[in-house]
Amino acid sequence: MKEDRTVEVRGLVKTFWDRGRGRIQAVDGIDFVCEPGQVFGLLGANGAGKTTTLRVLATILEPTEGSATVDGHDVRHDPEGVRRSIGFHSASTALYPRLTARETLRFFARVNGYPEARIEGRVDALLDRFGIRRYADARVDTLSSGMKQKVAIARTVAHDPPVLVFDEPSVGLDVVNALELRRIVRELRDLGKAIIFSTHVMPEAERVCDRIAIMHRGRILSEGTLEEHRARTGLHYLEDIFVAGLEGDEEDDLGDLS
Amino acid sequence: MRRIRPLLAHELRMLARDTRMLLIAFVLPLVVFPALILVMRAVERGEAERMEETVFTYAVSGEREDWTRALLLAALDEAEAAATDSAGPRMRFEERQVEQPDSLLAAEHLHVVVEGFGAADAPGVRLHYRASSDLSRAAASDLAERLERVRGARRDSALVAAGLPVPPDRVAEVVPRNIAGAEREGGALLGLALTPFVLLLMLTGGSIAAVDTLSGEKERGTLETLLTTGLARADIVRAKVLAIVLLGLVLVAVNTANLLVYLGLGVIELPEHLALSLTALDTLLVLLLLAPLTVLVASALLLLSGRVDGYKEFQIAFFPVLLVFVALSVAGMLPGMELRSAIAFVPVAGIGVAVREVVLSQHDWPFLLITWCATAGAGYGLTRLTERSLSAERLIGGGAVDPAELQGGPALFPRRVLRWFAVIWALFFTVSLWFGEALGIRGQVFVNLVVLFGGGTALMIRVYRLDPVRVLFLRAPPPAAWVAVLIGAPAAYLAGIGLAELIDAYVFPVPESVLESFGNVLLGDSLPMWQLLLFLAVLPGVFEEIAFRGVLLHGLSARLRPVTLCLVVGALFGLFHVALFRIVPTAFLGVLLAATVLLTGSVLPAMLWHALNNAIALVPAHLGWVDADTTAPGWAYVAAVAGLLLAFGILYATRRPPPGLGRPHPSDPRAAAAMS
Repeated sequence: MKEDRTVEVRGLVKTFWDRGRGRIQAVDGIDFVCEPGQVFGLLGANGAGKTTTLRVLATILEPTEGSATVDGHDVRHDPEGVRRSIGFHSASTALYPRLTARETLRFFARVNGYPEARIEGRVDALLDRFGIRRYADARVDTLSSGMKQKVAIARTVAHDPPVLVFDEPSVGLDVVNALELRRIVRELRDLGKAIIFSTHVMPEAERVCDRIAIMHRGRILSEGTLEEHRARTGLHYLEDIFVAGLEGDEEDDLGDLS
Repeated sequence: MRRIRPLLAHELRMLARDTRMLLIAFVLPLVVFPALILVMRAVERGEAERMEETVFTYAVSGEREDWTRALLLAALDEAEAAATDSAGPRMRFEERQVEQPDSLLAAEHLHVVVEGFGAADAPGVRLHYRASSDLSRAAASDLAERLERVRGARRDSALVAAGLPVPPDRVAEVVPRNIAGAEREGGALLGLALTPFVLLLMLTGGSIAAVDTLSGEKERGTLETLLTTGLARADIVRAKVLAIVLLGLVLVAVNTANLLVYLGLGVIELPEHLALSLTALDTLLVLLLLAPLTVLVASALLLLSGRVDGYKEFQIAFFPVLLVFVALSVAGMLPGMELRSAIAFVPVAGIGVAVREVVLSQHDWPFLLITWCATAGAGYGLTRLTERSLSAERLIGGGAVDPAELQGGPALFPRRVLRWFAVIWALFFTVSLWFGEALGIRGQVFVNLVVLFGGGTALMIRVYRLDPVRVLFLRAPPPAAWVAVLIGAPAAYLAGIGLAELIDAYVFPVPESVLESFGNVLLGDSLPMWQLLLFLAVLPGVFEEIAFRGVLLHGLSARLRPVTLCLVVGALFGLFHVALFRIVPTAFLGVLLAATVLLTGSVLPAMLWHALNNAIALVPAHLGWVDADTTAPGWAYVAAVAGLLLAFGILYATRRPPPGLGRPHPSDPRAAAAMS
């Protein structure tokens, strides 16, 4: 059932209406696929449409047009199925301060439909894998930010979902914690998870992502492995590739105008 | 239930770990309540001591000072005062011999000035005091009481001396005797207080839970986490509502127990001779009635919590909500309020009245059911609204707004039309309630129909830049429609009466007095025939149709399918006819008229139908051909139904629905998006 494990986005459009700015085309017809055991990177500046795309995938937002399926579930018709199949992690999704780490993991495993009989075993395994056993029974609001970060990732994978979504996870992390995060993401990939990873940090994308899509103003400008990007542009560093892509896009716009 | 159990357990655990919540919801009532009682008792005791310690000073002035002084001495005679069972503290008085006693009283050097007045054979005294000083006021009232006693005794002995054959206090004696019995009296008191008591505790406890469980989650950023789990939005809302309800109920239980403990200890005293006996059935019934109330409160609080950003805004928005609920819940305290009235349809208020009646063992089953459904329905509606407001676009994309709102005009109108009618309804009621009598029947008709319906319609057309011809369905109907109306109007009138009688017989009877007074309202002004037709048939036919079957029908047509559309327009039309028993027949007429407009694509046949209907209701009675006791034979109702079917058969066969109805307006951005 390989195709069921993929994330597939086809012609996705998301339009917002803002009181001040009027119509905003946050995502403007994008397509991509993410396979199991792959980290798919969405690289773009702030406002490129990365977060909106991921929120549509997580069924927080409804697509205006187009389709997206996660593990065989359609975001429009089976949002609960989609959410059970993904773990969503972002810098803005917080932990419950009044729960302990153990209770947090237990709760998220349970509400995501993880088999009840296996929850305790799963929680124990996670506590060990993420090295949080020592403070498993301390309330989350007493933990340091690095510990919280680990608990947050552990809760994202609590129900062992086939698909993981990381929305700018390294925002606000110090170097050590950011490195730790990358290590965990690679580990999860090796376990066969399909991982969507958005970032605006070029070196991070270079190190973590197997495929990279450069997003700008709601569109995907180019997509491929780092090597493919290099071959296409003749440039070595992702930063240069990214800038070149953006410049090409601006020129297209000028062409449209004339 | 199984799906929401983990979330409910989670919510309750979170609440139980919120120290602020525990403090406000439990510690405060358990500590502050007794503390308040203790303080009040201490104040009372202190006040009594002060009264006993103070030496109250008075001066005598005016005519016949010696007589006045003697009277005062008699009144202040300790032995006599002790003989009476005065409950208050014993107060001591002393006379001051002063010049200008009035100015000393004003300067607070004296408590009372006693002034003699009147003729020598009928002397009296005036007590001067300052109501702004509690000591002066207490002194005057104590003195007045004592003087009154002396006066009574003197009058009695004078009467006896003059030869009264019986003791004076036996002349035309009046003895009130209460036959209600302690239990009924206790029941009446409980019935009044129970709903507001439960409601207040639900509101205070529930608000703390609600603000933590939704606004708090939003503020902490955990709501987004929750929304990305496998839980359905509906389950999230249900678990949260249930958590609020449970917390509220625990609070009710704790405070009731608290109250009972203080009653048991005698710290609080109830009025004497009260007792309570509720049958098991009535207790169950009361709990059943209060259940939808708790759900309604919980979902209202949750909705509020979802709509605002954070704790502070919640506090600001909570106060008006509290006021509305409390105002509704005290409806049960209104004297003479019966459940068998429009109040049954008002959420919360109906429950208040129903609880009072059940506690007194009155069971008006159909209306108990109606009021239960009204409150439960409102609770369900609010829960659904909360679910919708959890659609995360509103929560997360702060700038996300309804595209129609930005465009305004015709695209926005369908979303605003109900608000307009709510305002018109409120104005309509205010006019009828407060200015009805002053305006008279013609004035009322003019204000309601021309100003409110006509003016409101014109305003809506202007504000939303609507096309009047399209919105008001101003076009020629198929000619056969006129024939259908001539058959349908009398048939529908008779069928409507039949329907009302069926309801009267099988659902709930309409009191005779209501029917009679309504007849008087319509005919009491004895208008000449042409005015009767103009004000009560032609004008309603024109203005009610352009409002209800024009703008309202058009506005709702974008959101509802034809059958639902007719039912909703009819029901709203019925609600505009204040009296309870008129709602059903008028709603019935409203449904038929809406269907007529949808089938003919024109409002004109509906106008004729409406005018004819009113004329049929008025003219025969006005000319004295029929009276209130006239009833139609059974076959007439059968014929009426047949006529109605024939009329709609003709309308359906020649139907010419309005073009483009039900499709989104071309300028609606979603329609534009779908087309592109």
